[in-house]
Amino acid sequence: MPSLSIDVANVTVAYPNGHTALRDASFHLHQGVIAALVGINGSGKSTLFKSLMGFVKPVAGTISIAGNTVEQARKLKLVAYVPQSEEVDWTFPVSVWDVVMMGRYGHMNFLRIASAEDKRIVNESLARVGMTDFRDRQIGELSGGQKKRVFLARALAQNGQIILLDEPFTGVDVTTEEAIIALLRSLRDEGRIILVSTHNLGSVPEFCDHVVLVNRTVLAAGPLEEVFTEDNLNRAFGGVLRQFHFEQSTIQDHDGKTVKLVTDDERPLVFGKGGHLEYKDRQGREDLVEKRQKEAGE
Amino acid sequence: MTDLLIPFEYAYMVKAILVSGLIGGVCAFLSCFITLKGWSLMGDALSHAVVPGVSLAWLVGLPFSVGAFIAGVMAALTMGWLKKKSGLREDAVIGIVFTSWFALGLLLLSLYPSNLNLRTIIFGNILAISDPDILQVLIISGVSILVLVMKWRDLLLYCFDEVHARSLGLNTGFLHLLLLSLLAATAVAALQTVGACLVVAMLVTPGATAYLLTDRFGKMLVIATITGAACGLIGAYISYYINGSTGGCIVVLQTFVFLVALVFAPKHGLLNTRRQRRLAALPQTS
Repeated sequence: MPSLSIDVANVTVAYPNGHTALRDASFHLHQGVIAALVGINGSGKSTLFKSLMGFVKPVAGTISIAGNTVEQARKLKLVAYVPQSEEVDWTFPVSVWDVVMMGRYGHMNFLRIASAEDKRIVNESLARVGMTDFRDRQIGELSGGQKKRVFLARALAQNGQIILLDEPFTGVDVTTEEAIIALLRSLRDEGRIILVSTHNLGSVPEFCDHVVLVNRTVLAAGPLEEVFTEDNLNRAFGGVLRQFHFEQSTIQDHDGKTVKLVTDDERPLVFGKGGHLEYKDRQGREDLVEKRQKEAGE
Repeated sequence: MTDLLIPFEYAYMVKAILVSGLIGGVCAFLSCFITLKGWSLMGDALSHAVVPGVSLAWLVGLPFSVGAFIAGVMAALTMGWLKKKSGLREDAVIGIVFTSWFALGLLLLSLYPSNLNLRTIIFGNILAISDPDILQVLIISGVSILVLVMKWRDLLLYCFDEVHARSLGLNTGFLHLLLLSLLAATAVAALQTVGACLVVAMLVTPGATAYLLTDRFGKMLVIATITGAACGLIGAYISYYINGSTGGCIVVLQTFVFLVALVFAPKHGLLNTRRQRRLAALPQTS
């Protein structure tokens, strides 16, 4: 198998009712990357997911997954999908163990009887997301973050090399969000491709390497710093985003550089003066800090 | 003491008891999927929509169950088609389709009387079931059980998470049709026991009862099947003594078991939820 990649070339998707959800969309993702799929509701994010899973067929263009067609990729169980919490019936009488075992169904025989190997993989996947102690819980008895982790474990049990996550951080507290991000990073480091559909802009610079901006087509795709710019975001979101400029703010010199932003739900996205991305932590961004200091020195 | 054995001295009673138990069990097994998929109304609709099939099968000389099964599946497909084309809500579509098929059945039966009279079809008459009809029930039940035992995990995944099932390459279109066909087949089998009006109880109540009693699907299947079969056996047995309608007896018994579960179920029962609420209201002592 050639190395892992997703190649979407000039894809147009139209639904039977005549609605064109995506027109002439193209992007490329290589292995070992966390990519954000960013756009407003109705911008074609879910259509793109459906095309990658082979639920809708493009009327034009091609999608290639690790050199395979979408159909072949599905047979190889390459693509795993982690649903939005709202899509799942949490009152269903299944345990954490049962759900993760469902990831193995594609690998099982006609009768879907779990082998020792299947059980080992399910145990391993549960351990990986830290949910071993909850294996016998009914899924409705879990917290928001635990629920997310169960479905991530299912994607791991499926051995999905490409993991599609739909709005993974809604209904998840900040601590859990960080735990999930750490897990996604370790999956990326194994060479998988993680594609995260989100409208939560602030979290994107915190954990994504790549960005695919969509609005009925792919507006821009590539490394975070290049694509995640004010201009591009304005194109993707139109007038939907609220903006707060701090140029004439009341911050005084003796405040140092500290401001505290409080939002109710989503992380805010912060651009510095001149439109560069600002990050919450210096840790891990030493290059950037150095670069900025050089600019200041000039 | 020997009074209790009297029903077993009559061959027709023994047959009625055994067939009722079998059908009760098969319907109950399927009811777990029907209740979780949210198809209870669909079960009601199909059990009424099979009626014109009974009449047409008689006219062309086929076993009644073949005609009824075809009519049931066709009604289900009509509903799917009408929903897609009209954009009407599902309950409206079900309401329109099942009443029109049932009305067509009534009309046909009044114009061309068949071997099963209208009363039998609507209210069931297990005591008068003929041997060929028993054979049909046995075949339907056997095939249904075989398919369910082989494919229950696929059907479970389909009911729980259709998107995941599709992404794994499972043929969800086939699973949808399979579940519909099983529903139509068991509705046909249950027709003679409890009649078209009460079939839906056999296809919903045991699953709903078991759902209250457990959080595991495997256990739910076992509990539902046992209650369904037991209610079938015992209901038919009791009906001898009280000289009442067999279908009525079976369904009243099922409802009674459901009510007991509703009140006393260890986790989801009314008594426990009330106790939990009271505990939560107490001042915390930590």
